[in-house]
Amino acid sequence: MIEQIRNQARKLLEDGDVDVVIGYAEGSDPARTTPVFIRKAEDVDKLIYDPRCINSLPLYLNKRHEYTRKGWKKTAIIGKGCDIRAIVQLIAENQLKRDEIYILGVPCEGQVSHPEKWDGSLHDGNRASKCIGCDVMTPHETDFFPGDKPDVDRSNPYEVTSPKVANLMELELDKRFAFWRTDFDRCFKCYACREVCPHCSCNVCITDETTPSWIDPAAHKKGVFSWHLTRAMHLVGRCTGCGECTRACPMDIQVDLFNQRMKEVVQESYSYKPGYSLEDKHPLITYQVDDREDFIK
Amino acid sequence: MGKKIEIHDFEPKIMAFVCKWCTYSGADLAGTSRMDYSPNVRMVRLPCSGRIDPQFMIKAFEQGADGVIISGCHPGDCHYNEGNYYARRRNTTFRQLMDFNGIDIERIEFSWISAAEAIKWTEVIDAFTEKVRELGRHPQYNDDIVDPYAQFLVQKEQESA
Repeated sequence: MIEQIRNQARKLLEDGDVDVVIGYAEGSDPARTTPVFIRKAEDVDKLIYDPRCINSLPLYLNKRHEYTRKGWKKTAIIGKGCDIRAIVQLIAENQLKRDEIYILGVPCEGQVSHPEKWDGSLHDGNRASKCIGCDVMTPHETDFFPGDKPDVDRSNPYEVTSPKVANLMELELDKRFAFWRTDFDRCFKCYACREVCPHCSCNVCITDETTPSWIDPAAHKKGVFSWHLTRAMHLVGRCTGCGECTRACPMDIQVDLFNQRMKEVVQESYSYKPGYSLEDKHPLITYQVDDREDFIK
Repeated sequence: MGKKIEIHDFEPKIMAFVCKWCTYSGADLAGTSRMDYSPNVRMVRLPCSGRIDPQFMIKAFEQGADGVIISGCHPGDCHYNEGNYYARRRNTTFRQLMDFNGIDIERIEFSWISAAEAIKWTEVIDAFTEKVRELGRHPQYNDDIVDPYAQFLVQKEQESA
């Protein structure tokens, strides 16, 4: 499979169809892989793909990153299903044009949840929770795909894969608050969850603004709560569920629980699934006259 | 004449983010008509209910508000045609987010109040103030944050007394 991807990448680079191929290469230790930017055809043999390739590459297509300002006309990117969802969402939000991107789709059998859990094979003990119930193991939007692409039914509603979301919803209100309170107590505001997110595309993040200072910059609970609520609110209906925020968190705070819950809400209220359509409008920038308003007095 | 003034143990702080075309004018009408309503509410006038960013509400709770009211024109009456429809969608999701975070969504009130509905405004404010008073103080995120300087001042005061 990876041979076909390499051959295609080599062909693209030799013909000058693309300026760069973004993919994965062997990392600093056997359990890790690292993102690579390949610009010469002779380097394509570096490319690999296996369950250790957990990084979300569409991050490098986001306009807030310097890579997009290097003057590359066309970028080829190796995408597993969940990454292609993020690319599709970026295109739907006009952050990217479809013809700037060449998507090399890969068939995926699931990813490990964290490099530390890699023991040579993928099994139920180390599989990431987002891979359970995944409907894009055969990617939906590709320019090149090794082998035949079977038809997959993707009309099912979004599935919450982390059991914690349902467990939290069953708890009493004050217990839920206490849960977040203890979790957020560990947060020291490194903003790794922001840096790793393919959809945080503001040029100046609201936390970095000082006049006025909307979110208390100190890492005490006041500022931490505001930050996580703001972050979750900005990603309502946009998060494609790559789970990178939780993986990147150095304090093991499950920040993507918010995103999973909000995906569920958006699916229930507006039957919108982010990352599946290039044209559908994001639910919060459009409206229906007969939207639900059971909470309004 | 007016209402009898009652003294309570707890006076909630309530922020109101209102649309200037409908609710602000409605509140203005309530004032010029000499209607009584609960003085716990602090109003912020905004051009439209679609201008009310969830950030305002997050900030209000961060700064110690016990309840937040969002109010604007009835659907179809928006001065900018569609602002309140966006506000409605935004608040549907925002309420669920606050609920998931463990904050009682009874503390966030959304209401359509037109410029003529001064009576509705007074009723909404009175009922909401009563509700928040029963709910008590908002479980603030900063309960266990103790300002060392404030602590020092308190200590000094106690020593001198």
